[in-house]
Amino acid sequence: MLMFVLKRAGAAVLLAVGTIIIAFLLTSILPGDPTTAMLSERAAADPTIVAALREKLGLDQPLYVQFFIYLGNLVTGDLGTSTQTSRPVLTDLSQFAPASAELALFAAIIAIVLGVGLGVVAALRANGVVDNVLRVVSLGGVSVPVFWLGLIVAALFSTQLRLFPSSGRLDAGQTPPPAITGLFTVDSLLAGDPGLFFQAVSHLVLPAFVLSAPMVGLMLRFSRASVLEVLGNDYVRAATAKGLPAWTVVRRHVLRGALVPVITVLGTAFASLLAGTVLVEQIFAWPGIGSYAYRSASKLDLPSIIGVTLFIALVYVVVNFVTDLLYGIIDPRIRTA
Amino acid sequence: MAVAALVGATLALSACAPATSTPDADNGTLVIDKSFDLVTADPARMFETTGGIVLHPVYDSLLTFADGDATKPLPSVASGFEVNDDATVYTFAIRDDITFSDDTALTAADVIYSLNRVKNIKGNGSFLMEGLTVTAGDDDSTVVITSDVSNTAIPAIVTSPTLGIVNSAVVTENGGTDAEGADTADTAEEFLNSESAGSGPYMIDSFDTTTETVLVANPNYWGDAPAYDKIVLRNATAETQLADIQSGTADIALDLGSDQIGSISSNPDVVVTTSSSPTIFCLFANADAAVSPITSNPDFREAVKYGLDYDAILDLAGEGAARAYGVVPNSFLGALGADDAVETDLDAAKAAVARLGDVGTVSLEYPSDISSNGLDFGPFAERIQSQLADIGLDIELTPSPVASALETYRAGTEQMGLWLWNPDYPDSADYLAFGPGNLVGLRAGWAAGSASELEAIMTSASTETDESVREGLFVDFQNAMNEEGVIIPLVQPAASVVSSAATGAVNYDAVFSLDIAAIK
Repeated sequence: MLMFVLKRAGAAVLLAVGTIIIAFLLTSILPGDPTTAMLSERAAADPTIVAALREKLGLDQPLYVQFFIYLGNLVTGDLGTSTQTSRPVLTDLSQFAPASAELALFAAIIAIVLGVGLGVVAALRANGVVDNVLRVVSLGGVSVPVFWLGLIVAALFSTQLRLFPSSGRLDAGQTPPPAITGLFTVDSLLAGDPGLFFQAVSHLVLPAFVLSAPMVGLMLRFSRASVLEVLGNDYVRAATAKGLPAWTVVRRHVLRGALVPVITVLGTAFASLLAGTVLVEQIFAWPGIGSYAYRSASKLDLPSIIGVTLFIALVYVVVNFVTDLLYGIIDPRIRTA
Repeated sequence: MAVAALVGATLALSACAPATSTPDADNGTLVIDKSFDLVTADPARMFETTGGIVLHPVYDSLLTFADGDATKPLPSVASGFEVNDDATVYTFAIRDDITFSDDTALTAADVIYSLNRVKNIKGNGSFLMEGLTVTAGDDDSTVVITSDVSNTAIPAIVTSPTLGIVNSAVVTENGGTDAEGADTADTAEEFLNSESAGSGPYMIDSFDTTTETVLVANPNYWGDAPAYDKIVLRNATAETQLADIQSGTADIALDLGSDQIGSISSNPDVVVTTSSSPTIFCLFANADAAVSPITSNPDFREAVKYGLDYDAILDLAGEGAARAYGVVPNSFLGALGADDAVETDLDAAKAAVARLGDVGTVSLEYPSDISSNGLDFGPFAERIQSQLADIGLDIELTPSPVASALETYRAGTEQMGLWLWNPDYPDSADYLAFGPGNLVGLRAGWAAGSASELEAIMTSASTETDESVREGLFVDFQNAMNEEGVIIPLVQPAASVVSSAATGAVNYDAVFSLDIAAIK
């Protein structure tokens, strides 16, 4: 098992280094000069101001020098300073990443509960009415555009029914709970403030539901297919033939075997949730990494673009690493392969 | 199942909780939704629309404007001013009853420090102090601004929130300096992004360029207390603003487009006020033959000028928008009226195209990812393309993200460009930038010396001190601009403010976009 973990960890480190190099190079060849986006019309016409800003940003150096400076800073945890917020990128990431993580976590919970649950139900009622309805739901989940669903959901549940707020993590002007995890739901509970907890949850509901929709569809399909496959195995038939209650057979024998491919999907889907928050965060004014990435790209905030790219890549690497480990734990054959 | 039950119970409880934060006017909090372009809360470094909205009520300036009327500078930190005959020396009398938010007195020294700091920081707004020298007057209560050349725009320039007066002692204590070299030596921005040091009716409580910025009433304000104790300015897209204003989550929405406003016009819970913004959408044909031998041909410019259907273009801008008859907005001195409008003349346009012969395809560039007052550039570009196709000109649309588009625009290499201009300060002199050899003119490849008569008018307009003569010069300037046809003004978008019925009507401010302290 130790060798298995070391192999996967080594691959993860190599992936991370490769990502840094690719992210830096790709960002450096983006069309457009960052100083152009930062300067007003009048200031951009003053060569001394332009030159001073380029020097301040280090853009007057050759690319390879910029790269080694970046690498050197990265070793010390310095991802540079965002030109849009004038703060260290690491500070920005530490502010925005928990917001996206909280959103993705809620979306993942919804997706697991609904997706896996409904997938099992669909498999157990294969080719029946329930199954067909759920297959349509699944198809809808993966095919309905998130931006459309977001606007519809906001219009219905916020504007019309006024059940849930449509923007932000908390009500306007509300002081956030003391930062411990950065997840307002968790921090508000740790602060012993249930009112704030429910407020945070109410702000999460709509964006988390919209973000989870494609994942619900995906999980439903994978769970259904996986459970159906396992249901056909001899050991499941044997368990049924022994007279075990149906739920016991599902819980003890079917789910364990069926969850292996589902966990693989869950791992990559969770990472893609983080990367896919851009639209949802824009629609619901959610101050997370997706909104930050969008603004960074539109303002050619290079340090932030690289920072966000690295962050999301690292999330993928870590999630894949954890998925590999879980896969190995659930299915011992993987460890020895 | 336990997880499902827990999630279900939590969602149910949060839905039962007071989910939407309906702002309550009784608690004195006003929630404003705005699409942020915030960068900094340091006035000397600030030159953005949202920054102006935030800092105008935080930092008083020498003079100010009220009710969006950009024609009458009003006293603020200065009780008044005197100007010499050739408009090169302005003497401002500083009031002695103004205190900063820390209850210390505002003095002439603070004014000199603040203006020099803007100048020496060499930031986005430093051009406002270009050619200006600030010194102490004969006594402790006067400040003298001397201009290298006659400059009648100075009273308008000093109203800018960028030139807001800071508490020099506090800013210096936190790393600020007004000396030369402030561009590298001044480190007060971080402090000013967390606390304010002004004398305005509000103070900064928290500042975040990405989520929300909160202002609270200044308990030591020297004037009448503002109506609201707390202002929450939140970053939101237009779509979110629409949802927020309808659900009662926001009191004011500032960026709704005409289509969105149309969808809520019958909603009794909201109030819409609409007026013309000072923004100008304009089209240019590059006058530099090295960039394009086609667009630099006077016949091409004539074809475009007479081939456009200006009313059809105006229709795209929605209700409340106005046609731009000249480059100077209709609320400024010397704005042109309908009598001076360039009229569509398809025969003249087609004749010009015939003289051009076969010119091939011309590229029209515009930014694809920004909008102003809810208007995107794309529909305008498509309509222009269609109208010019009708007279035989083949226009290829070349949209690109603003960060890329700005590069070619500022380099003056666009064959044709579709852009907008917001005033740097509320005075017609700002629009001389459109002339040959000046900022915008050069971006249209229009070099100095290429229109001598027009340039003579520009020189006179920039130095003339008599208002009526000045007005006539700006009219002549724009008529000459229209005659040349290098830059073709199209529309002034409508500026709408949507507020909740409880808040009441809130007017767009043509100078500050939104005058927060004036909201009652």
